[in-house]
Amino acid sequence: MPKATQYKSSSVIYFQGDVGDKIFILKGGKVLSKTNDIETKEEINELVAPGEFFGVKSALGRYPRDETALVLSDSEVLVFTVPEFEQLVLANTRIIMKMLKVFSNQLRRMHGKVQNLIGKGSTKDAEEGLFSIGEYYFTNRQYKSAIHALARYLTLYPSGRYAAEASDMARKAGQGASKFDSTAMFAAAGADDEPDFAPPTAAPAAAAAPAAPAETVSAKGFFEAVALANQEKYLDAFKIFQKIVTTNADPEHSAKAEFEMGRCLVFLTKYDEAIKHLTGLIQKYPKHPDLKDALYFIGRSYQGKNDNTWARNFYTKILNLAGEDEPVAVKTRKALKELEGVAG
Amino acid sequence: MSLDLSVFNRFAITKRAGDIIFCEFEPGDAFYLIQSGKVKIVKIVGDLEKTLDILNPGEFFGEMALLEEAPRSATTIALTDVKLLEFNRANFEVLMQGQPQIVLNLLKLFSKRIYDQKRRFMILTLDDIQARVADVFLMLDENGPRPIDPTDNTRNFANSVDDIAHWAGISPAKASEVLKQFANQRRVEIQQGKIIVKNIMDFHRLVKSKRQG
Repeated sequence: MPKATQYKSSSVIYFQGDVGDKIFILKGGKVLSKTNDIETKEEINELVAPGEFFGVKSALGRYPRDETALVLSDSEVLVFTVPEFEQLVLANTRIIMKMLKVFSNQLRRMHGKVQNLIGKGSTKDAEEGLFSIGEYYFTNRQYKSAIHALARYLTLYPSGRYAAEASDMARKAGQGASKFDSTAMFAAAGADDEPDFAPPTAAPAAAAAPAAPAETVSAKGFFEAVALANQEKYLDAFKIFQKIVTTNADPEHSAKAEFEMGRCLVFLTKYDEAIKHLTGLIQKYPKHPDLKDALYFIGRSYQGKNDNTWARNFYTKILNLAGEDEPVAVKTRKALKELEGVAG
Repeated sequence: MSLDLSVFNRFAITKRAGDIIFCEFEPGDAFYLIQSGKVKIVKIVGDLEKTLDILNPGEFFGEMALLEEAPRSATTIALTDVKLLEFNRANFEVLMQGQPQIVLNLLKLFSKRIYDQKRRFMILTLDDIQARVADVFLMLDENGPRPIDPTDNTRNFANSVDDIAHWAGISPAKASEVLKQFANQRRVEIQQGKIIVKNIMDFHRLVKSKRQG
C-alpha cells in the first residue's frame, strides 16, 4: 500500500542526483521541482500540480533523480514503490497512455538535441530522405534493400520529386538483383557489408534455391512495370503485372501486382473492368496492404462512370478506415470535394 | 519474456534475414515486438551505414513513430530470420487491454532512453576531447554490470574504437589518437577486442574537473 507522508515546509523529498526507487503523488500542499536546463544551465522551477506524479522516470528507469523536489509549504505526499505504482497504473491504463505520450515527446526532443550537437540534425525532408536511402543501397549494390526503399518511396510519393529517378533506379536494382543473385560476389565481405541477397548456404538451400531467382525475377518485372506506369504506359505495365499474377512465383509481388493491375485499368478508363478486378482483389485479400487504395480506385472508377452515389459510398468508407493524415485519406477528401463541385 | 502472447498471433509477421522492416523517413504506423531472431537498427550517415543497435527477442522497436506520428528515425533490418508482433494504432488499444504489462514495459524503456539521451548530451557538451572519451567509459561503466569487488577500480570494456568514437561524437581516427595518449599515460590498455581502463576513479576525476571548468 502506498504510504501517505507529511513533509514540512522547506524540507526536501529528494535531491537531484539521488538514486531512489520511490514514486510520489502530491495530495496537498506545495512542492517545487528544481532543475537546470541541460543546455543553458538556467534554473527551471516548476510547481508540481496536485494529483500529479513526480519522480516517475528516474524510479522506473533506475537512474539518478533529474531534479530536486523541494517542499514549499506543509504537504501531504503519497509514496509508492515501483511495484505499487505498477499495480496502480495497470488498473488505470489511461495513466500509462498519458505518460507514454509525455515521455515519447521528451525522448524525441532530447534525441533532437543530441543530433544537433553531433551536427547530424537532419536537413532532409522525409521525401528526400527516403529516396536517399534507396539511393544509398542502390549505390552499394544492396539491391533488395534498394528495391524495398525505392518501392516505399514510389508508393508514398507516386508523383514525387524523385519519382522518375526512383523508378529507374528500382528497375536497375531489379536487374542487378537477378544478375548478382546467383553469384556469391560479395559473400566474402564483413557481416555488415554483406549484400542482403546472399544466396542461402545452409542445408535447405536445395528447397530454397528455386524460389530465390523467381522472387527476384518477379521483383524485377514488378519494378519495371511500376516504372512504365509512372511513364503513363499503363497498357504495357498492365501486361507485365498480369504476367506476374499468372506466374504467381512470389506471393508478395503477385498480390501487389494484382492491385497495380486495377490501378492501370482505372487509368486506362476501363472502369467496369477495374471495379470487377479490384472487388475481386479485396475479396481475395481482405488484408491487402493496399486495401484502402483499392477502395479509392473503385471510387474513382464509379466517379469515372458518373455514378457519384457509389463513388461517394466508397470514399466515405475509406475516410472511416483511414487515419486523417494518411495519403489515401488526403486523396479521398480531394476526390470528394471534386464530387461536391459537380453536385453543386 | 514470460508473458503469454499467443492471443496476439494474428499480429505476427515474419521477415527473412536481410529484409528491411522499415526505412528511416517512412511514415510510421506500427511498432514491433521481437518474438524470435535479431533486428539491427541502422542509420545512413554520409556514405556509411552505421549500426546503432542490435535488438533481441522481447525488445521493442518503432514505438516512437506510433505515438507521435512522426517519420521513422532509423532503418530496421532483420539480421536473422525474425518473427515479430506488429501493432498499429488501432490494435495498440487491444494490446493495452490484453497485456497492459507490455505497454508498461514500454514506459520503462522510454524512461531509460530519455536518461541515455541526456547522458549522451552531457558527454557531447564536454569541450575537452580527452574528458569526453573518459566520460564515454564512465557512461559504459554505469550501464554495465556492477563489479564483484566494489574496491576494484579496473574495468574491461568489450567496445571497439569505433564505438567509443560514436559515443564521443568524434572521428574514429581522433578516438584512436586519444586512446593512444591514454595508453602512453598508462591509464588504459588496448588489447585485442577489449579496452581496459586501469582506474575508473581517475576518469571520474578527469571528467569532473573538466565539467566544472
